[in-house]
Amino acid sequence: MRERETDVAVVGAGGDGPALAWRLGQLGVDVTILEAGPFYGNEEWPAPNDAPGGEASGDPADLSGTLYDEQFTSREGDMNDPVTGTLRWGPADDDRPPWQRTVPQQALIAQLSGVGGTTQHYYANHPRAFVTAVDDQPQWPIDYADLVPYYQLLEEVHPVEPAPTTPKAEVFFEGARRAGYDLNEGLNVTEAGYRPFPNAISQPDERLRRDGGDGDEYRYPDYEGDTLAMHEHQGGPHPREAPFRERARRSSNVSLVPRAFDTGNVEIRPNAFATDVLTDDGPGSVEATGVEFRDTWAATTERLYADVVVLAAGCVETPRLWLNSGLPDDGWVGRGLTTHWFDFVTGIFEPGAVESLVGQPAVEPHQGQAAGSRLDVPGVGAVAVNTFAPGVTAMAVYAAGRGEWAFDRDTAGEPWDSCGRLAGRELKERMADYRRTLTLICHTDDRPRRDNRVVVDESTEDEHGPVPLVEWEPHPDDDARRDELARRGAELLNEAGAAHVHRTDAAPILLHMQSSMAMGKVLDAGGEAKNVDRLFVADHSALANGVGGANPTHTGQALALRTAERVAARYFGGVDDPVGDPG
Amino acid sequence: MSYTRGTFAALVDALVPETPGLASRGPEHVPGGLEAGLEEAVVERVNSFVETRGLASLAGDAVPLAPAVAALLDAAAAELLVRRRAEAGLRSPDDAFAGGPFCRLSREDRLRALRLLEDDGVVAALSERFDAASLGTVQFLASSLPILVEFVYYSETTADDGEHSLGWRQADYPGPSDGYPVLLGYEVESFEENDY
Repeated sequence: MRERETDVAVVGAGGDGPALAWRLGQLGVDVTILEAGPFYGNEEWPAPNDAPGGEASGDPADLSGTLYDEQFTSREGDMNDPVTGTLRWGPADDDRPPWQRTVPQQALIAQLSGVGGTTQHYYANHPRAFVTAVDDQPQWPIDYADLVPYYQLLEEVHPVEPAPTTPKAEVFFEGARRAGYDLNEGLNVTEAGYRPFPNAISQPDERLRRDGGDGDEYRYPDYEGDTLAMHEHQGGPHPREAPFRERARRSSNVSLVPRAFDTGNVEIRPNAFATDVLTDDGPGSVEATGVEFRDTWAATTERLYADVVVLAAGCVETPRLWLNSGLPDDGWVGRGLTTHWFDFVTGIFEPGAVESLVGQPAVEPHQGQAAGSRLDVPGVGAVAVNTFAPGVTAMAVYAAGRGEWAFDRDTAGEPWDSCGRLAGRELKERMADYRRTLTLICHTDDRPRRDNRVVVDESTEDEHGPVPLVEWEPHPDDDARRDELARRGAELLNEAGAAHVHRTDAAPILLHMQSSMAMGKVLDAGGEAKNVDRLFVADHSALANGVGGANPTHTGQALALRTAERVAARYFGGVDDPVGDPG
Repeated sequence: MSYTRGTFAALVDALVPETPGLASRGPEHVPGGLEAGLEEAVVERVNSFVETRGLASLAGDAVPLAPAVAALLDAAAAELLVRRRAEAGLRSPDDAFAGGPFCRLSREDRLRALRLLEDDGVVAALSERFDAASLGTVQFLASSLPILVEFVYYSETTADDGEHSLGWRQADYPGPSDGYPVLLGYEVESFEENDY
């Protein structure tokens, strides 16, 4: 068996692993990241879905905008098909099916493999946690103030900036004003109010003002920054023809991986699925010594030994790897999963209503940023504009409901005109109204509960061992919060003049996932496992709760940066110039 | 037409049917999923859900699940009929359909049958009673079907040219773009580091 050594082995190059690796690289620590999926936009893998390609990459010169343009077509079937799409949870080899999970209930899991992980299709929404979710809810062993220096660093480097107002955003803002909400202008949210999203999307060129367009091709180098093409869900590769690291949507592969490579101390090995955390049983304690992994193309097994192991494989695979490695379970491994218990409310607008608000007859959901405006409701969650291309609209808004079909439901007395899954003529009529449609997503502040969990399904194995078993059900308190958000969203749409409001009553959509390996439960306040030395967790599973319903990437990355400094402080001789309190 | 394809045709037809009643919005709004060959695209995907292992992998990369799903749809249709939950009578199946009970239900009753597989039917009841993950995956699989059908239909997948699918045309979606001049300004110029 091939064996190698490094200082820190990281499992997973998703949203958070590259943040930790970048900071460790800056501190002079050698890092190898093992990533299960492909590496898009890299010259080592010119045909990542068809051939094994190279072995590892750590040179910024490997990153290729040209390949990124070829591989990310912006077409939703190509990119987002959950079975065959370029962006899916599965091996790089697209002749093979997705990787299996056992989900014994109505639900949808929307995680991605590959460098960048689920940020490859994220909308780059970077709100901080709600202050009260960290300081007043009981789960966090650290304070909100401990996170702020790391938030500030990310806001500077991605950068994170207010999303631009576009016609669909203005429809939302006007609905919010009429419903009586004030504008939130602060980064630290404690009161209900509306605001543009803090987004990790470089702001657009001023020549992209409405009516100012000169019919140019909106491509680099003529245009830098966002081009308002709304292809975040399809991989967000704009502006076309730009160097890889200058794409406007700052997914971790575009923003943090190049910075990590710049340090000269970080390499990523894609197509490497970790199957075992290696340990030494010391006197009275277990100590991590490395990771065993399987090459997904060659089907060979290798070992990477390290002084410290960091799990950043996400809320499902991190506990699966932990349990399949036989590491100690104190009762909370894989437990306490939060999901923001999503729902959608959608407004369809008559041309006159939109014209009077924004001077054009249609909402045009396919233009502008996918999610650029939001309503914060601390203690309850958030309601945000969430717009998609048609296939994803039909899938998420009209097909992903639970319970009875819309034709078997009565909505008398409700603030929505229809509710539930749509089919037949009603579906086709709603989809024919696509360009007059504004969709809002409800992000519920759901709370960690032990029964909501990721364990392993011992009865079902793939080549990486027993597969994860994922179960999530809402508590009645979470249902009540979601209902309140749906009502607030419907009220906002009605105030803006919607002619028809539809509520999805979504089944569990597991896209935002948090807290399945929570700090304060499985991990200590530095992100290190309480029961295994030299083993840290630095992904959203380490979050102590669902951060109040705020999009979790910003907090996940901030915590990963903080954990990097803890790793260096405890095992690599300290941190000379820490970003936060060295603790 | 095979049993599997004919049963999936009845599923597709229930979710995205031909709609002569929408002709007033334009002729492009009349055809539905069968016109686009959607049932074949869905069968292909269902047959690619799960990878084979061990000896089974000699026969192919993926478990051919679609025939089993078609049989489950028929079992659910039978349950709907036995429990007298069907609201319309049985009918002769459309030419594109297979001959099982699922294909003989009205469109809405087919979706009510699908609902029994997700919840409320015998499989869901057994899964509750025995707390069996393997039975629960039937619920997951059943609820994936409308998601898959509606996604594939309204994406570009069924288009011959990779773009102008029926779904995209009916949604009046112009397809991928390099960008749009739609900037109106900024509601907030920059966020404050406010007290908390």
